[in-house]
Amino acid sequence: MLTATLAKRIGGVALAATFEVEAGSTLVLVGESGAGKTTLLRCLAGLVSPDEGRIVLDGRVWFDGTAGVSLPAWRREVGYLAQDYALFPHLSVQANVGFGLRAQGLDRRSVRSRVDATLERVGLSDLASRRPDQLSGGQQQRAALARALVLEPRLLLLDEPLSALDLQTRRAVRGELRRTLAGLPCATVYVTHNPVEAIVFGARIAVLEAGRISQVGAPDELLRRPRSPYVAEFMGVNLFRGTVAERDASGLARVRTPFGSVVAVDPGEPGDVLVALNPREVTLHLAPPAGSAQNVFSGRIVELVAEPPFGERVRVALDSTPPLVAEVTRHAVESLGLREGLEVHAAFKATGLVPYR
Amino acid sequence: MTWRVLLARLATALAITLCLGLIGLPLVALLLRVPAATLLVRLADPLVLAAIRLSLVTSLAAAGLIVLLGTPVAWLLATRDFRGKRVMEAVIDLPMVLPPTAAGVGLLLAFGRTGLAGRALASLGISLPFSTAAVVMAEAFVALPFFVGAAAAGFREVEPRYLDAAATLRASPGTTFFRVMLPLALPSVIAGATMSWARALGEFGATITFAGNLPGVTQTMPLAVYIALETDLDAAVALSVLLVVLSLTVLVAVRALPLGPAGLRRAHRDAR
Repeated sequence: MLTATLAKRIGGVALAATFEVEAGSTLVLVGESGAGKTTLLRCLAGLVSPDEGRIVLDGRVWFDGTAGVSLPAWRREVGYLAQDYALFPHLSVQANVGFGLRAQGLDRRSVRSRVDATLERVGLSDLASRRPDQLSGGQQQRAALARALVLEPRLLLLDEPLSALDLQTRRAVRGELRRTLAGLPCATVYVTHNPVEAIVFGARIAVLEAGRISQVGAPDELLRRPRSPYVAEFMGVNLFRGTVAERDASGLARVRTPFGSVVAVDPGEPGDVLVALNPREVTLHLAPPAGSAQNVFSGRIVELVAEPPFGERVRVALDSTPPLVAEVTRHAVESLGLREGLEVHAAFKATGLVPYR
Repeated sequence: MTWRVLLARLATALAITLCLGLIGLPLVALLLRVPAATLLVRLADPLVLAAIRLSLVTSLAAAGLIVLLGTPVAWLLATRDFRGKRVMEAVIDLPMVLPPTAAGVGLLLAFGRTGLAGRALASLGISLPFSTAAVVMAEAFVALPFFVGAAAAGFREVEPRYLDAAATLRASPGTTFFRVMLPLALPSVIAGATMSWARALGEFGATITFAGNLPGVTQTMPLAVYIALETDLDAAVALSVLLVVLSLTVLVAVRALPLGPAGLRRAHRDAR
């Protein structure tokens, strides 16, 4: 189990984060470029020294700013998969994977058998004698993973391990990687800026914004109760931040936001709240709807994006006040004739909105 | 074509011709003057043979010493920033521009019988001046910067991501140096060692000042050429030609080496 509190000022970002990762589980770390994700990983690996903080792994202190403890990277039982894999260009796949074991002074025969077993596990036995530049991107990724895993690390750090791959390989490698990680006994920290990867790999997701963790939780938690506009954007949901203004007897309340107000479920008390809205709850109409939806906003369509590309669902962004994203079926897009620039009415029910703090 | 362009072209062509002539004509003159019939006999002269043997032994010893002592220096200059680094770099480079005779005087004052370190060495019964060891020291002194410069450039070119990868694979800094940094910089290190060896082979001024000119002990090829010039021009020419051939071979060989990690990658690509 990893417990870490660390602060590091580097470039324009002041990283300050506290988090835990259980052994055998994966924490996915997301955030925009420049939020400090790679710096955080490098602090954990020991490649960068935090300004202050404490990193403890399975009871062993790796770093303690106040006690002056700082184990160098090579004394930490860590596995680090860099974004570009950094396979040694002068060594074969086999020698790359055996590098760490030989560095520890293991005899040739034990190195050989452990390397062979690991290469077998990642399906690279046939390519053992190749040089890294003779491998495809996906094979390089597997070789680099094998090189880290053969040392049985207590903490595995993956820095956007799929971002160097083209789209076609990415899907296949993602599946493989998920199966490999699922069976590992170590704590894993997985950095990505891709929402699909975050949900596939993370039982827990931590969101890093400008060096700080703005939210940690299960994907479902982030989807239902995003705590910041970035989290909402990342999960693809609408988020309103406002104040409970009027509460009525029917159990509904009006929440006033800087961009107009919405009717939501009564949170039970007044005060500042957040309200998340799943885009699937939003319906689009050419004329003002007459139905039971308490919330109706009108605006122009600014963007239509099918998700996945050529998929059955289409995300429609409106310039309404507040700005809204709706997710409708391709059939609805066609029958309503939705297109960019068209003025439409978006409606959603108050019962779909549960304010939280 | 205007006359200005024509003039510029003529001036350029003239400059190039003169430049090549300055370097090339002496080489041609040497080759033309080779006593073809007696070349081998000349080179087989016992004194000449002794000079060749001594030159090879001392220059190789100097190159070995340089690699041994210069590698840590190159590593330091390539990977660390510290106070006085620029001064250190200048001092290391100094022998490249310093007149070798001045270097010889300095060596004499440092390691001579009454020199700074010489006195201490003398009390241990070691006397360096006018010995073969002095030849090696003089050669190492003047040839060191050629190796340190090339090796440091090679180390600097090794991408930090490979060193980081090695560190996360539990390799100590020493292991990382010998198994990642050195292999990746090897072409530059070899090129530097070869260049410094060639420079040591041609060393004259510091050697004759610090080590003297004792046949069989300190008289290397360049010294023998100088002495032969007064007594036996054919022998001087024969030795000079040999030195030209050796030096040219070294330079061509170094250029054929794939330099730096970029060259290494190129070599891999070509091999496929």
